[in-house]
Amino acid sequence: MTIAPTDIQAMQLSVKVGAVATLAALPLGFYAAWLLVFGRFRGKLLLELLFNLPLILPPVVVGYLLLLLVGVEGPLGRLLGMAGIRIIFTWKAAVLASLVVGFPLLVRSIRLAMEGIDPQLLQAGRSLGAGPLDLTLTVILPLSRRGILAGSSLFFARSLGEFGATIIVAGSIPGVTQTLPLAIYDYASSPDGEGTALLLCLVSVVLSVAVLLLHETVLQRGKAA
Amino acid sequence: MHTPIRIILITLCMLLFALPSWATELHLSVAASLRESTNELTALFQMQHPGVSFRNNFGASGALAKQIEAGAPADLFISANREWVDYLIGKRLADAQSSSIFAYNQLVVAGRPGLKIRSIQDLLQLKRIAIGSPTSVPAGEYAMQALKKTGIDRQVAHRLVLAKDVRACLLYADRGEVDAAFVYRTDALMLSKQAKILYVVPEGLHERVSYPMVLTVAGARKPDAQAFIRFLSSPEAKAILKKRGFELR
Amino acid sequence: MELELQLRKRQGAFSLTVDLTVSGERLGLFGPSGSGKSSLAGLLAGLSRPDDGRIILDGRTLFDAEKRIDLPPERRRIALVFQQHALFPHLNVRQNLLYGHRRCPAAQRRIELEEVADVLGLTPLLAQQPAKLSGGERQRVALGRAVLASPRLLIMDEPLSALDDDLRHRIIPYLRLVSERFTIPFLFISHSLLEMRLMTERVAVLEKGELRAVVSPEELARQRMGQQPAGYINLLQVGPPRQTQGLLAFPWAGGELLLSDATLPEAGTVELSSKEIILCRRHPEAISARNLLPCTVRHLFDAGRKTGVELDCNGATLIAEIVPDAAHELAITPGSTIWAAIKASAFRRL
Repeated sequence: MTIAPTDIQAMQLSVKVGAVATLAALPLGFYAAWLLVFGRFRGKLLLELLFNLPLILPPVVVGYLLLLLVGVEGPLGRLLGMAGIRIIFTWKAAVLASLVVGFPLLVRSIRLAMEGIDPQLLQAGRSLGAGPLDLTLTVILPLSRRGILAGSSLFFARSLGEFGATIIVAGSIPGVTQTLPLAIYDYASSPDGEGTALLLCLVSVVLSVAVLLLHETVLQRGKAA
Repeated sequence: MHTPIRIILITLCMLLFALPSWATELHLSVAASLRESTNELTALFQMQHPGVSFRNNFGASGALAKQIEAGAPADLFISANREWVDYLIGKRLADAQSSSIFAYNQLVVAGRPGLKIRSIQDLLQLKRIAIGSPTSVPAGEYAMQALKKTGIDRQVAHRLVLAKDVRACLLYADRGEVDAAFVYRTDALMLSKQAKILYVVPEGLHERVSYPMVLTVAGARKPDAQAFIRFLSSPEAKAILKKRGFELR
Repeated sequence: MELELQLRKRQGAFSLTVDLTVSGERLGLFGPSGSGKSSLAGLLAGLSRPDDGRIILDGRTLFDAEKRIDLPPERRRIALVFQQHALFPHLNVRQNLLYGHRRCPAAQRRIELEEVADVLGLTPLLAQQPAKLSGGERQRVALGRAVLASPRLLIMDEPLSALDDDLRHRIIPYLRLVSERFTIPFLFISHSLLEMRLMTERVAVLEKGELRAVVSPEELARQRMGQQPAGYINLLQVGPPRQTQGLLAFPWAGGELLLSDATLPEAGTVELSSKEIILCRRHPEAISARNLLPCTVRHLFDAGRKTGVELDCNGATLIAEIVPDAAHELAITPGSTIWAAIKASAFRRL
């Protein structure tokens, strides 16, 4: 059983992909949750369904749909291609896959926090002269802080474990797009890779437990406050 | 006792005792790329032997081998490479004597119809080539052997897109995400309009692509399993495999 | 302040219709719970939208359905004080106080933090988090926060209802002080007649979503005294007392009132319910009530099933209530003289 340089890279890549996906998802997730809680428009239910879809779709399906969308021939892929950006088979594709698959978890968590805000605080804020954006930044954002933290840690953990969608849009290129779960799958499917697979599993477990512990701590503190 | 009831009881008893004597269930664990041909073969065998029924389990060879090791019911194992058969024999879970070759396949390069690939070196003109991950996918391992033997493995390394299996390679080629992909001939025959076989990798560049099969210890004790493995080398079975693009010798 | 309202709003089975033009600095909105008081406050502040009508405050149109004018709440400059203080839990007292102040256009900003904190006694609390404050302190911060926004109108929606009796009477002076000191007109919403009399000069009465009347709080209290469990509350201004035979004698209306339950032996306001006053045609020779006051009947008024009697007690006014039969029997008519008997324990310190 040996640890190849690409295995270390897989660990680093997993953390990098998770971190970038989380940072990218936060503003989007906050906005999505805001729309669902405070928005007044037609088709809200439809939007809610759409946001939750990746939660119930098999990740492989999400991966396939993303491939159709951002692939070289896909509508978005073509646009990006014209701008000289290629997503597919790069680490960005892994970020995208994580982002889409983990998005519902993030939105759900932020949304719960937003729904818990006393509406009178928002009314008070408006009557004291805060416009909708001002109110969002100075009242809603700080008061949903815990939901944002809890959602981010859950999202990050989910991102560390993302496999099905990633392996389709990013491939499993060691050192480039092969994240920890992909490397584990690779080793587990080879006759002499069992030892390394188990070792990487252990790393994965330790990493995920650490993140979930953080998540629980945030939740517990939320209850205490 | 009333006659109708007696008749029903007798019939029930007959059914109860008679069933085991003419119905055997064979469990096959077969590499995913052989799904269509295996289903056709078992259907034919069943027509000839009405007492035999099949439970077919398709998947990655490695996953299947590990399932058998974990005690999953299996009588016959058809693998996409030698290693997993040896793995089971090594663990004394398979009957080494029953081991033989189910069929042979060819490694090909499939891709956009306009491309001209006359030698493996021509791959250097392409930007992206899909290949199964050599660690876990046999087709990828064969492809890597060919690239190494030609001496271009380092030059193409950064153009390779490693996929989780041959089907994913096919998907990428079919959708134009890659210029070409290393796949089996039998898979390439199922491609749609977008891609076609550009080049057949010469046999000398890699180990021959073979599908070895072996009876498990449990299977070796079943006469029907023995009969099925004999059937697989019969002319009618060979005709089916040939039709699907496999080589037999 | 001049407020012109013509509003219609439906919310499910409830509908609110208000057509009202009032002016004054201390307005009240009175009605039982469910009468639509808070809905009206929300419509005024722009937190919800009327179906039809218009709102004009001091000549400025805040809403006009026909002209399609609908100023958002942040541009109406109407500040709210709620029953539940609604302080921002993530900000400390100072930041809460300054929330509206910072957002008020500089040209209209005329009230400063130090002054408000001083008047409301909040200076030592500025660095505290709201969670650490008592109920009364929180309500004072909420009031200060609203005032510091230099609003054109301050709406106080049942600001005292969440507080206990004692606290309530300690907050009222703050409310009055703040509006007088900083000259902010207010709309005070409550279902308490006493609060209306203490806080407002003009009251709009709302019932089941409809405007019933606009009256003075005094008139309202007299009209409603028959329906109130506590009757009409006489508010008597008394001077500093002297001790006498275990009772306190407070100077009032040229004479003295004897009070037993006087926890505060100093000048101030005492409450006396109209129900606690017994009227006698002649001087009762032997009576346990310690206060026996000669009065002249000014006039009688109808108050539901009761008859209200306004008495002139050496120049001061007392309101008593009797059943109509008693008025007849005792031949109480305007101008007749009468004795008012009041027990020493009937008074309450405000």
